[in-house]
Amino acid sequence: MLWVDKYRPKTLDKVLVHQEIAQNLKKLVTEQDCPHLLFYGPSGSGKKTLIMALLRQMFGPSADKVKVENKNWKVDAGTRTIDVELTTLSSTHHVELNPSDAGFQDRYVVQEIIKEMAKNRPIDTKGKKGFKVLVLNEVDKLSREAQHSLRRTMEKYSASCRLILCCNSSSKVTEAVRSRCLNMRINAPTEAEIVNVLEFIGKKEGLQLPSGFANRIAQQSNRSMRRAILSFETCRVQQYPFTINQAIPPMDWEEYVSEIASSIFKEQSPKRLFEVRGKLYELLINCIPPEIILKRLLYELLKKLDSELKHEISHWAAYYEHRLRLGQKAIFHLEAFVAKFMSIYKGFLIETFG
Amino acid sequence: MDIPDLEELEWLEWLESHTLNDPLEDDYELEIGPPSSPETDNPPDRSSLSLPPKPSPFKPKTQINPTIKKRVQSDLPKSILLDVDNNYDFDENGPYAKRSRTEEAEIRKEKSAQSKSPDVAPVVGDDKSGGVNGPSVLLNGNVGSVENNEGSGGDEEWLRYSPPRDIVEEMETQREERILSRYATEIEGDCVPVTGLDGERVYAKICRVDMDEVDRKKTLSARGDFNGLLQEPVRVLMQKVEHEEFAKALQASAEGPTEVVPLKATVTDQQLWVDKYAPSSFTELLSDEQTNREWDSCVFGSEIMSTTDDVLSALRRHSSGSQHSKQSSKSYFANNKETRLSRNTLGVRNDLNKENSISQGIQDMRENRHKSFGPPEQKILLLCGPPGLGKTTLAHVAARHCGYRVVEINASDDRSSSTIEAKILDVLQMNSVIADSKPKCLVIDEIDGALGEGKGAVEVILQLVLADRKSDTGKENVDQEAHSGRKSSHKKQRNSPLLRPVICICNDLYAPALRQLRQVAKVHIFVQPTVSRVVNRLKYICNKEGVKTSSIALSALAEYTECDIRSCLNTLQFLNKKKEILNVLEISSQVVGRKDTSKSAFDIWKEIFHKRKGKRARKSYNSVSSSMSKDFEFLYSMISNRGDYDLILDGIHENILQLRYVDPVMQKTVQCLDNLVVSDITHRYIMRTQQMSLQVYQPPIAIIIHGLIAQLEKKDIEWPKSFQRHRTMLAERMDMFHTWHNRILPYISRHLSTKSFVEDSISPMLYILSPPTLRPVALHLLSDNEKTDIGQLVNSMVSYAITYKSIKSDRGSLRHEDALDATALSLDPPLGEFIQFKGYNSCHVDLALAVKQVLVHEVEKQKILQGSVSKSTHLHAKENHAPAKDNSGSGLSSKSSYKNGSEEKKMDREILTADKSGLSVSCNTPVAESSGYSTSIDGAKSVQTTKKPSGGPANFFDRFRKVSNADSRITTNVVHRPGTAQRDSHPLLFKFNEGFTNAVKRPVRVREFLL
Repeated sequence: MLWVDKYRPKTLDKVLVHQEIAQNLKKLVTEQDCPHLLFYGPSGSGKKTLIMALLRQMFGPSADKVKVENKNWKVDAGTRTIDVELTTLSSTHHVELNPSDAGFQDRYVVQEIIKEMAKNRPIDTKGKKGFKVLVLNEVDKLSREAQHSLRRTMEKYSASCRLILCCNSSSKVTEAVRSRCLNMRINAPTEAEIVNVLEFIGKKEGLQLPSGFANRIAQQSNRSMRRAILSFETCRVQQYPFTINQAIPPMDWEEYVSEIASSIFKEQSPKRLFEVRGKLYELLINCIPPEIILKRLLYELLKKLDSELKHEISHWAAYYEHRLRLGQKAIFHLEAFVAKFMSIYKGFLIETFG
Repeated sequence: MDIPDLEELEWLEWLESHTLNDPLEDDYELEIGPPSSPETDNPPDRSSLSLPPKPSPFKPKTQINPTIKKRVQSDLPKSILLDVDNNYDFDENGPYAKRSRTEEAEIRKEKSAQSKSPDVAPVVGDDKSGGVNGPSVLLNGNVGSVENNEGSGGDEEWLRYSPPRDIVEEMETQREERILSRYATEIEGDCVPVTGLDGERVYAKICRVDMDEVDRKKTLSARGDFNGLLQEPVRVLMQKVEHEEFAKALQASAEGPTEVVPLKATVTDQQLWVDKYAPSSFTELLSDEQTNREWDSCVFGSEIMSTTDDVLSALRRHSSGSQHSKQSSKSYFANNKETRLSRNTLGVRNDLNKENSISQGIQDMRENRHKSFGPPEQKILLLCGPPGLGKTTLAHVAARHCGYRVVEINASDDRSSSTIEAKILDVLQMNSVIADSKPKCLVIDEIDGALGEGKGAVEVILQLVLADRKSDTGKENVDQEAHSGRKSSHKKQRNSPLLRPVICICNDLYAPALRQLRQVAKVHIFVQPTVSRVVNRLKYICNKEGVKTSSIALSALAEYTECDIRSCLNTLQFLNKKKEILNVLEISSQVVGRKDTSKSAFDIWKEIFHKRKGKRARKSYNSVSSSMSKDFEFLYSMISNRGDYDLILDGIHENILQLRYVDPVMQKTVQCLDNLVVSDITHRYIMRTQQMSLQVYQPPIAIIIHGLIAQLEKKDIEWPKSFQRHRTMLAERMDMFHTWHNRILPYISRHLSTKSFVEDSISPMLYILSPPTLRPVALHLLSDNEKTDIGQLVNSMVSYAITYKSIKSDRGSLRHEDALDATALSLDPPLGEFIQFKGYNSCHVDLALAVKQVLVHEVEKQKILQGSVSKSTHLHAKENHAPAKDNSGSGLSSKSSYKNGSEEKKMDREILTADKSGLSVSCNTPVAESSGYSTSIDGAKSVQTTKKPSGGPANFFDRFRKVSNADSRITTNVVHRPGTAQRDSHPLLFKFNEGFTNAVKRPVRVREFLL
């Protein structure tokens, strides 16, 4: 088991980073008045960990006993029946699923599963009707229709079912859904917090941490706890005992992006753009989200850029990222950004150096 | 154009003074007239005709001038004749007049001269002269001419269409009264004062019929502008004048048939022109001159003799070879056909790459022939090409020329496989009794339309061909037997080889139904014939039909219909029936229903990327802006006809960066890509909201890009593959990830999304999975620390469902590995692929094979262990749960369950820690179990004493026993259970290692295993 999983706090009490939020959640549970919840925050900040700890708080350890199911739903949609297949994780008390995996049929998934859950409502030991929890991941990737159909069902079945929504950006969740939930913003952990966690792990593992080493890892981690812990473990595997100047292995795709950036700096021409396109395709093929590519590329470009241009380039990056989100074919947008950068940069070079 | 007018008027006046011409005198004078006319008239005519077709604006006038002058000087009858010729020129749009026509006219003149009857017949187009001329004289002339026509012009089919005398007479007389007068008051409506040479002033009416005069005035004014102001560039003016000239000419021609056609209509002509003028011989074929010539030489026997020796010898060989078979003639024809076909395709090829000299082509041909000769390989010819180029006609003509009787099956027939099979077999294998002994040739028309039911045709043909192939390769007798045995259900002739040619015709070569057929058939792609050829043919037909057309109009028509001869002919006939004339300017409205052909995507990309120069520039008459708009229209209609904007824009995206366009600061590139971005967003929006009407904004994006980067240079265009490739690869990776994700234990996988995996996890994970510190030595040689490291690694691998799998590798470098020959171990979900970027070297170390093997073993073991442990804990939980409930009642249930949970957890952790350190578990465990199972204390002792590294396990077993003991103490009624539970929790693990063990041997009784 990797350290990421091994040292994941199992209960709300053991949470190291978002202790305040954890306490609030605990209070919510003990008061038996749990509303719908919407967790949002960047990846690697601990949303999922908190949700799991919360579930455990609600239902006890049986919430941990989950089974994976490949469920098939047959949905009557007017004239035809639609087959929807989805993988769910479910325990006796909750169901966890990723509705955006169903693509454009996510609406049916949301509608169907909530109804299904409402139908067989669990009865707890006292004969009181309890409620189930439905954890929906990646709500921001849900289509608009699914979100609309979600808001009514959220109210209708609120007695039998609580929703816990989890997403990266709340801006992509419709107002209606957001207003029906208690919004929990999960910040990315600060570097100090990351250092704190790393030292905790180090102590548990019985490792000698040279001073400042944890800091370096935290700095390179982009404030993502997952990444920090993983690279910590990587360092451990690569070389132990640690030295202060030990290299922290980089992410491969980030290295690749920086290669792209340097090749852009070397030459600005349609031919080079064509090469860059091939590399961008490579990144996309490996499931790396285009937004992240764009962001990273901008970061790499800004590193070596004249300060005069930084503002303009950032503006264009934002412009193309917006379009990217509106559009469908990521490569068009990424390439357009690269072309724009090349054009601006070339113009700048000609202007300054003649 | 003022001078002719005046002169004409003068001449009219002169005519008026000689109104009383009696017919006899007329005749007499006319006798003199015709012989003189070729001398005086034709030279200027000729010179004008020999000029290049590019119209110069003033040529018509200069051309008319001398003739009219001459006319003024000459005598009356001659002048009439001249006038006729002059008219004739107008009809033919002056410069565009075809020599054939004039030659015809010449011939006619000569004929008339020979027949001694003054043939002034072609007064047909005299409406124009009628407008201005002195009518009475003209009338007389007409009378004479008509009379003469009746006398002499029996064989001259042109004469049939000359107007009957009385109608013309009436019209002319009526017109005469109003048109010209000395007093303006006598004329109704607008009039123009004209002063003659002798100072006499007349008023000429401007009448509607008299378009020529008006037009001339217009040109006059235009010229005035030109001389005086020069507001517009000369080129524009030239174009304008030219344009008007066209219009005028067209108008003139448009008026001609209004008188001709009514007569024509009386000639009953029910047949479609398309059928009527379908070529019946090779020389008439339009398709491709070179192709046809190639065909000729092969088809006609005499020319076969004159062709190169090897053709002849090949043919002889074939004919002699086939003599022993009964159907010698038939097979001879088949061979003959075959050679022809090969030549035919060669011709096309020659045509396609024009640089190839003909000699080279011949060489090609020879090579090809050498290769393909032997028994003819392809007996099926697949003709494909856009509609209306004469594929069917060609098939028929070809077959007929080779002495076949054509049997056609087309889309209108029943094409279900059962019926068609019988039909095809009939055609291919039967000889008709009644008809001539000609063999039949099967022509299957519109075979690409054969879908679903109709696929039968293709299947049947394929079967035949395949059978043929087999019989070719194998021994015939054997094969026949096999065939008859196999296909006994079919007709008996089934086994006979395909001896007759089959011609299939399709529009779309790449129709899915034809995929297989394409491989076995000889494919001949039709290319468009040149416009001039089509026009020539059309002209010939028009002449035959007596329709007046100009070659400009015809070429415009041909271009418009993309050389679709059928559509051209249909249009012409239709117009003819409607008594209209083909008009260059209104061609788009005249042609009924534009062909809705969608071009292939490649053509569209070509159009987008290539600037057209020659063709389009000529088309645009007026100015740059209009040519732009024409361009736009053309592209727009082309792209929107095709539809599939997604593909088109993909293609643009794919190829755009390969083009060479001047773009110093990459502005154009940025613009193009921005436009692509816009199209993408639009596309997404349309798809999302289903507002298909917004699709109309897609083609303009392509057109903008065309405007930005279109080049004259032609570049190879690639099919957009990379995006599709990216899509499929992405889907593959996602699929891989998902399957792997499903295998991971849920409490880990729930925290791992695709995004977080590729973004944060994969690289460190790979580092962790392949620690560089691991020494490739046997397990028992490792130090404790290393053992714990490996334990941890194995643990992570198990929890992430990762293992190593042997993969065949072709690399020779791994040959020396003794354990696994030519195989290597790689990660089972190939996680490494997620960081494999092209042109990127990651610094991940690959573990040594030995280490991997060790890891594989350990992982396997761990998995088994864990599976059994989880089972046992499950059992335990159940057991514990039941007694707890029994004892403490429902009130405590939650608590007890909680306790169970914690216990479970503890156990879990313990097992895990045990596993971590427990590399020696391999054979230890059974030992520990077997000993630990008998009695609790003994077991614990024995475990503790067995081995040093099993400190963990000892601890674990110890604790576990306590728990179970506690259980057994609590549960009085289930005494036996713990035992079995214990057995389940410590399964035996047998591992057979041939010739090798590191286990501690210890006698164990079978009884102990079977508890």
